[in-house]
Amino acid sequence: MTQHETPLASAQHEDEAPKTQPPKVGFLPIETNWFDRLFISVVIWVALSLFWFRFVEPVGLSIWISNIIALALAVVIIRKG
Amino acid sequence: MHSNRLGWILLAPTLVILFFFGVLPFVYVVFVSFHSWNPFAANPEMIFNGADNFRKIVFDAEFLNSVGVTVTFVFFAVVSELIVGYFLAQAFMKEFPGKAIFRTIHTLPLIMAPIIVGSVWKLMMTPSIGIIPHYLNEWFGLSVNIGTSSFAAFATIVVMDIWHWTPLVTLTLIAALVSLPQDPFEQAQIDGANKRQIFFHITVPMIAPAVVATVFIRLMDALRTVDEVWMLTGGGPGSATRFVGVHIFREVFPKTNYGYGSTISVIVLYLTIVACWLLYVTMLAPRNTKKD
Repeated sequence: MTQHETPLASAQHEDEAPKTQPPKVGFLPIETNWFDRLFISVVIWVALSLFWFRFVEPVGLSIWISNIIALALAVVIIRKG
Repeated sequence: MHSNRLGWILLAPTLVILFFFGVLPFVYVVFVSFHSWNPFAANPEMIFNGADNFRKIVFDAEFLNSVGVTVTFVFFAVVSELIVGYFLAQAFMKEFPGKAIFRTIHTLPLIMAPIIVGSVWKLMMTPSIGIIPHYLNEWFGLSVNIGTSSFAAFATIVVMDIWHWTPLVTLTLIAALVSLPQDPFEQAQIDGANKRQIFFHITVPMIAPAVVATVFIRLMDALRTVDEVWMLTGGGPGSATRFVGVHIFREVFPKTNYGYGSTISVIVLYLTIVACWLLYVTMLAPRNTKKD
């Protein structure tokens, strides 16, 4: 804050220059931040689990395999997405 | 730092309310969805059953059918509301005699409670006394009975939803159209663009955020439609209008199956979030531009 600035003006300047991280450029087709990538991972985890319950578990493969795959995918998406 | 603290203080009441009325019930529903719980049964205890409710849901033919019915309903209702709402918004952009009174009358359905809308439409659609079956029969020779015809029941619910919610779409699109700058339109006309080109290359991209926001609101609302449908058809005939909301209602209230009802709610919330997110990604999300 300069000598002649009011606290409000100072706050406005802070708003004008937000200190956010630049969006990451990864293999996903859209710009994402870490929370977007976490969200995408959770969405995929739920979808994969439901698919597993419906089609794969009746064959005899445990849901834990699906969870491990989803976790691995989440790590890839969050780090490289 | 000072502005941050002030911001948090100003936000605090909203965050507290949001936590108690939004986050906490959501967490509780997710918690209940992993339990078998019928509080009115011989054993009213909440019994943890892992993911069994989710295992059951993917094989529940009634639930899967209700998802199909709901998605079909949402598609026809929201698309129709968007188209009709856009044309009405364009009409309201022009001056014509009686515009003010027409706009007021057109907005009236919005202030009616859904349960009232359902009751009124039930009266209007009852074959012996309803005005709509009467005139459809007199003018076109059609015999319409929503108690026996699946198609008539479904179509009536779609029309009822369009009648009820199109004014909302119109109002948001009027707001979007009014705020458009005139310069791009004038420049396009000078460059010789026709109406179609102006619509697809200027109007649509400029009102896209408002359209997406409106579709979000309507999508979320339409996916949890219960009261209107419950009053009008009760989910019938058969399961023709058993939307997911109605399915949850039947599971939770008549059967008092709170655990499984919560599971269906969580899945419906998941589908709603995914649908909205896909719409956002398709229409608005900034693309990744890789610099090679």
